[in-house]
Parts: sequence; C-alpha cells; structure tokens
Amino acid sequence: MSGRGLARLAPVVLVLAAGLSACGGSDADPPATTSSPTTDGDAVAITVTRKDDAFTPNGERVELGIGQTLKLTVTADEAGEFHVHSTPEQEIEYEEGTSEHEITVGRPGVVEVESHDPASVVLQLEVR
Amino acid sequence: MSGGLPGSSIEAHGLGGAKDLPIPSELAIAGAVAALVISFTVLAVAWREPRYDAATSGREAPAWLDRFVSSPALAIAARTFGMVFFLYVAAAAVFGKDSLVNPFLGTFYVLLWVGIVPASLLFGRFFKAISPARTISMLFARISGVSEGEGMYAYPARLGYWPAAVGLFAFVWLELVYPYSTEIGPVRLWCAAYLGIMLIGSAIWGTTFLERADPFEVYSSLVAKLSVWGRRDGVLVLRSPLANLDTLVARPGLVAVVGVLFGSTAFDSFRESTVWLKLVQSLSTTRILPDTVALVGFSVGVALILTVATMATGVSSQTPRRALPDLFAHSVVPIIVGYIVAHYLTYFVEYGQQTLIQLSDPFSRGDDYLGTADLQINYWLSSHPTFLAVTKVVAVALGHVVGVVAAHDRAIKLLPKRHQLTGQLPLLVAMVGFTVGGLYLLFAA
Repeated sequence: MSGRGLARLAPVVLVLAAGLSACGGSDADPPATTSSPTTDGDAVAITVTRKDDAFTPNGERVELGIGQTLKLTVTADEAGEFHVHSTPEQEIEYEEGTSEHEITVGRPGVVEVESHDPASVVLQLEVR
Repeated sequence: MSGGLPGSSIEAHGLGGAKDLPIPSELAIAGAVAALVISFTVLAVAWREPRYDAATSGREAPAWLDRFVSSPALAIAARTFGMVFFLYVAAAAVFGKDSLVNPFLGTFYVLLWVGIVPASLLFGRFFKAISPARTISMLFARISGVSEGEGMYAYPARLGYWPAAVGLFAFVWLELVYPYSTEIGPVRLWCAAYLGIMLIGSAIWGTTFLERADPFEVYSSLVAKLSVWGRRDGVLVLRSPLANLDTLVARPGLVAVVGVLFGSTAFDSFRESTVWLKLVQSLSTTRILPDTVALVGFSVGVALILTVATMATGVSSQTPRRALPDLFAHSVVPIIVGYIVAHYLTYFVEYGQQTLIQLSDPFSRGDDYLGTADLQINYWLSSHPTFLAVTKVVAVALGHVVGVVAAHDRAIKLLPKRHQLTGQLPLLVAMVGFTVGGLYLLFAA
C-alpha cells in the first residue's frame, strides 16, 4: 500500500478505536439490587421472595464458587418449586411461609434457578 | 439432566443444563483488537489481483477418491443411513414419551441443527447426501415415472434462497422463542410441516426446490463451502476453504439467510443476558412478543448492515449496486461459523453425548438398542473454562480472518480500480462490528 493510502486509513482506525473504547466504558455501572447476596461463613446467602406470583430478585446474577454452598431462604405466599438447571438438574420444593434450602454446583458454568409455574428465571448462578 | 422430568414443566428454558461462563474481558478485548488489526493488515498487505476463480481453482483429487465419492454405492449408503436414522428418531417422536429423555429433541436441536456445521465442514454437502426429504421425493419421482430432479415447473430464479430464509427463521423461532420448544408435540408438528412443504415443493419445482428452500440443506451447503471438497466440471477437486467459499453462487435471499443465521445466534446469547432477562420478566405479558421482536430485530439488523455496507461503494457498469449484497454475503459465512463454534461448542459436545446415550432408549423403557445406554458423559470441556474461552475467541478470530480475506478478494474482482480500497471500508467496518459484537455478547451474556 502507498503511504498516501495508509494516511487515508489513519482517521478510520482512530474513529474505530475511539468508538470501541467508548463502548467499553459505558457498561461498567454496577447493578443496583435490593436483595444482594451476603457471605455467611463459607457460604453465600440469598433471600428469594414470592408474592402474588412475582419473584424477587428478578434474574439476578450471583457469583458462586465450585462446590460452595448457596443458602437460599425462600419466603413465599404459595408453595411451589424451583428448578436448578445445573448438570444434572436439581429441584427445590418450598412450602408457604419461610423455608431454608441449600444449593451446590460441582462444575463451572452459568446455572439458572427457575420457577416453571409461573415461568420466571429467579437467579443466574455464575459458578467458577 | 438425567432425571425423567415431565415435558410439561420445562418452560422458559431450552434444552441442556448449565450454560458456559462468560468469556473473561481480557480475552474479549484481545479478540476485538485482533479483529481490527487483522482487518487492516489484510487491506494493507493482501494481493491486488483477484486470486480465486471457480473455473480454475482447486487441485484434482486422486482418481480413486473421485470414483469412491461419486459412486452410486456411497450415495445409496448415505441415503439409507439418513432414512433409517430418520425413521428411528421419528418412531421415538411418535411412540416415545413426552419427556426430555426422549432422544428426538436432542437429535433435532443438537445433532441436526448444531451437528450440521461440523459434518458439513468435514464432508461437504452432508445434509444433501442424507436428507430424508430428498430421498423420499426421489422415491416418489421414481414411482411416478418422472425423470429425476424434475418438477412440474422450473423453480423461479428470483425466489432464490428466500424460502430457506423463511424456513430457517421458523426453526430459530421454534428453538429460541417458542415457550414449549422442548415438548415433543409442537416439535413433531414443526417437523411434519417441514417435511410436507419440502415434498410438495419438490413435486412442483423438482429437487431445485430442496437446494434453495430446505433450510437444513441450504445451511449445510453454505457451510460446506468452507470444507476442502468441491467440483469443477463434474470432477472432484480439493480446494482451500477460501477458494471454495468463492465458488458460492450468489442468489436472491442469500443476505436474508446470512442475517437469520448470524442474528439468531447473537440473539441466543442476548436473550440470556441479565439486562434482557430483567426487562422481559418485568413485563406483564409473556416473553413471546418481546423475544420475537428482538429475534426479528437481530436478523433484519444483520441483513441491513450487510446490505448498506456492501452498497456504499463506487461501482462499475457491469455490476449493479443492488446485486452487491448477495455477491458479498459469502464473506459473512466464516464469521457465522466461527461464532457458532464459540456459542455451541460445549452444548454440542456435552448434549451431543447425552443424545447418543438417549438414542439407545427411544421409548424410555430402559432399552439399550445401540449399546450406548451405559456410556457416561465426559464433562472435560466445561470443567476447563479457560481452555474453552480461549478456543471460543480463537474460533471467532479465525472466522474473521477468513471472512475479511474473502471479502477483499471479491472486492478487487468486482469493484472498479479506483474504488477498490475505499469501497471495501464500509464492509470491513461492518465485519469488525459483527465480530466485536459477537465477542461482546460472549463476554456479557
């Protein structure tokens, strides 16, 4: 390529680079959540609430270590069950009122904790 | 997922258990920088005369290989394999239990839809060789005395690949949007409709219809252009994937096919992102409408970007501007394949093994027809997330290199001399956008 050709390319490269770095900067804001996970000894603890067929939290990401215990406190106005889409799958049945459950995942990956009736992804466990 | 979950309780979730971890940000950035550097390096140092020409490219395969590949025995063996496998899985679909352990679902979503990519990369037009729709329509033609491949009318040229784009969209909608995509009934209905349309279409327009309208055959033949197998004047030749890709014949609708394939894979990452999940779950309606809108948006978006980017150049009198998008669409195929490897590798390897195990027991009675029932799934890949993430980024970067080189060669062939450099830029920027966007989704979703 001639020197002039390269010179003509320089602005394009600059614009692209600037655009990329701008994209990179804008998504750094941390998500504000109402029911943030807390650490409880070696375990991670989180509370899930079911009220009038709506779940809190709503699809939140929770970081979890491989083999680490997630202590799940469920407060529900109606009994139901969660499916933990690990491989193999786990199920958690909860009663009306407040109940305690534990989840451990043995392999890295993103595991959804999901209610099927009503259909809603409650948590996404980022296991690493 | 070895438990026998009833099929009715798996809404809001596709097939398979845990998903891949997001790729680390350093790797995503490294991949994006690589894409940029590669793109402009190709532009700066690559050849100035078109290198690929379907009429001359490729080295003749040894005569014995050509004889073997072209032999009726191999063709019949492939057709028999396709038909037997089809009937076996159809029996599971009709008589098996409506449950996730029914191998029909894994065969449809994993072995067929994802497996079509590696099979076509290795063997060329794999699906065409085994396609049950093609086999049945050939048998019908033979019984009714029609000469092979002919229909009642000639296939209208201006339809091109449009029917395949529609068929592919129908598939990805079923897989990614439809809430009951893992129940046997609706998937079986989809397959029956597909088969019916293929048989009627091939009766009317001959087997050309299957070549242009069968979503699986079009997808497979598109990916096959990245294999080493090709033909020149009927003779089997071995080509580099780049030379082979150049032989793809542009037809109307190719941009739409590419748009659906790339857009839907991107949407698959996007729909599991926390942002989208929180948004659709906070709406009072079901996910179907917003997911459909997003899927259409991604597919049309890719097609539009490609259309605008390829048309934004000076042209010569021989090539009209509106022909350019389809003539350049081939260069997006390697980017799609790289991204699909990144997106579906674990799913294919691990759920593919699961499906092989399930195939031994099509009616969920504890049978072991194929001797695979007692195999254990090897989870090595998902247990090594760093290796997996590096593999993904390498696949995406490799796809990007091949795509950019293919576009460059086509540009110096089609564009007038003084527009060759500037005319390539918009497409180059679009390709960098596709690759960086894909990496961003792998990182953020």
